Amino acid sequence: MRRIIVLLILFSSIYTCYSQGKPGEKLVYSASYNMSGLMTQLAQVSMQTELIKTSKKNFLHLSWEAATFSKWDSFFKIRDLYETYLDQTSLKPGLFKRSTFEGGYSITQKYIYNPDGKSISGTSRIQNRAESKRNFAIGSSSQDIIALVYKLRTIDFSKFKPGQSIVLSLIFDEKEYPVSIKFMGKESLSAGNLGRKECNILSIAAKTDRLKGKDKNLIWLTADANRIPVLVRFSIPVGTGQMALSMASGI
Amino acid sequence: MRKFLLITAIIFAILGIIFAVLPLGTIAFLPIVIAIIVSLLAFYKSTEKLKKLPRIVLIISAISLLVVVAKVVLIKDKVATDKQFEIKKEESKKEDMKDLEGL
Repeated sequence: MRRIIVLLILFSSIYTCYSQGKPGEKLVYSASYNMSGLMTQLAQVSMQTELIKTSKKNFLHLSWEAATFSKWDSFFKIRDLYETYLDQTSLKPGLFKRSTFEGGYSITQKYIYNPDGKSISGTSRIQNRAESKRNFAIGSSSQDIIALVYKLRTIDFSKFKPGQSIVLSLIFDEKEYPVSIKFMGKESLSAGNLGRKECNILSIAAKTDRLKGKDKNLIWLTADANRIPVLVRFSIPVGTGQMALSMASGI
Repeated sequence: MRKFLLITAIIFAILGIIFAVLPLGTIAFLPIVIAIIVSLLAFYKSTEKLKKLPRIVLIISAISLLVVVAKVVLIKDKVATDKQFEIKKEESKKEDMKDLEGL
């Protein structure tokens, strides 16, 4: 189940909204997992953007929240919160936080991006163990999952040809992963309350055992300026699942 | 063969009832559909005098199927209001402000 959630995060975070500069965007998804050949709705995933002002700077607060539907809470309760604060001017991440509670297993992580842009001061805690602190080096373009997908959502895929790909660098669990994004083509899909939308299909690949199959981890982003993720399909060693947009507001 | 089919049908029918009662959604279709198929086979394998039990298992499985379909169609999935989680989010935000002031 934890793998499913991680995958949901990996793909769902490809939301990042603020896309072309709109705090207050909210996207709500219904996440399903294929159980015995049947897509079963497990959780609601919501993604929001907000403008945060400090005495020195303005930050874009991008948050991702996942919660199991109440009927599942007694079996496997999930309450996950992923947050990233981007500098509004440079769009560089300043702070990343992860707080997950999945079936009684909890993890909290905090990454503070150091001003040199080459390292992160990280703190993490698993369950009730003592908090661990670690500074680790990162590549100049490496970003946490939410910041990375924000970047992805700013990419104009209209000029891409099918098969064309780009590589981004992801930081997850204090490790860096190259993530390949391949443009697969276009398709028209139902996008919740937005109606039918033409979407760009992107295939996600990363050198990790969390993803399975070639071109089986896909995301459909609207082929307009908002680039809203409409559908996400993932394939992992323990099965397949999807996340479908049910409601979008503040776009 | 008939006995094996009947026992299998009864086991899956019981599982189907349990799954239908529990909030397991469409997963309940799996044991119910198996129970229906196996009880149908048991029904056709049975002589006229022995058709009663597979018929009962079949009816129970069909009712379970209707219950699951009704639950899937009529009951909408909701996320429970989690006050503890909301408080945690607020506290997290306050803590974040302190970190952001230092950036």
